[in-house]
Amino acid sequence: MEEEIIKNNYTDAQKSRIFDQEFMPHINAMYNFAYRLTLDRDDAKDLLQDTYLKAYRFIDSFQEGTNAKAWLFRILKNSFINDYRKKSKEPAKVDYQEVETYYNSEDVDRQITPDLRVESLSNMIGDEISNALNALDVDFRTVIILCDLEGFKYEEMAKILDIPIGTVRSRLHRARNLLKEKLSEYAKSMGYKTA
Amino acid sequence: MNDPSKMKHDCSNQKECLQLLQAILDGEATQAQKEHFMKEHLDSCMPCYQNYHLEVAIRDLLKKKCTREAPQELIESIKKQIQQNLRA
Ligand SMILES: [Zn+2]
Repeated sequence: MEEEIIKNNYTDAQKSRIFDQEFMPHINAMYNFAYRLTLDRDDAKDLLQDTYLKAYRFIDSFQEGTNAKAWLFRILKNSFINDYRKKSKEPAKVDYQEVETYYNSEDVDRQITPDLRVESLSNMIGDEISNALNALDVDFRTVIILCDLEGFKYEEMAKILDIPIGTVRSRLHRARNLLKEKLSEYAKSMGYKTA
Repeated sequence: MNDPSKMKHDCSNQKECLQLLQAILDGEATQAQKEHFMKEHLDSCMPCYQNYHLEVAIRDLLKKKCTREAPQELIESIKKQIQQNLRA
């Protein structure tokens, strides 16, 4: 972890306690994040395992009492980018800037699916929302997971993702528009009235 | 619910409203923004009222449908590796 290189010298007993009490309670959330990033159960298992072993190896740079969950999520995200994104089956990444400029354009704002209704959501009792989320570009998927599923604050997300807080805000806004678009497509294909 | 017939059916700044609305739900808005929007705007503006309920419904659905637990054998395997590390 680059910015704060505080080196603690935890004893084995302390390490073991930190690992059990501060790291392990987040394992389900971490697994879900790994799965949503890789979209593959086996890759998710490997990514989770790598992340926890890394967390253990770098445990001396974890400051007790600080946000363990954010610290762990950041390690997982970096491992994903460095080790998994390359070999993932997803198509080559579009340039960030390009994507954000595109979704920032007036065109997209005009088509903000105002026609999606709460009633059609209540009919989505299967995997519709999960599929819609998985269909988003990984960067948009990520901000929705961090914010809506895990409840991270914008500032924490900025640190986890190494992006400015303004980018968090705008990416999140666009991600939600895109998710609504997908949901509205599902609603239409399921034959529910949307407007 | 409010009297729909008294609500306006167009929002002059729907984009900004939606951003504010999301900030409120994310716990990132100020108390003043929150009060103004929730108590005054939402009661009189139909598109924002609907957006609000849609945002809440999507979040609920995400939480209900998009989480999964780590396989138990994976958890055990990670614990075991750490214990081996400790003993080494
Ligand atoms: Zn409004």
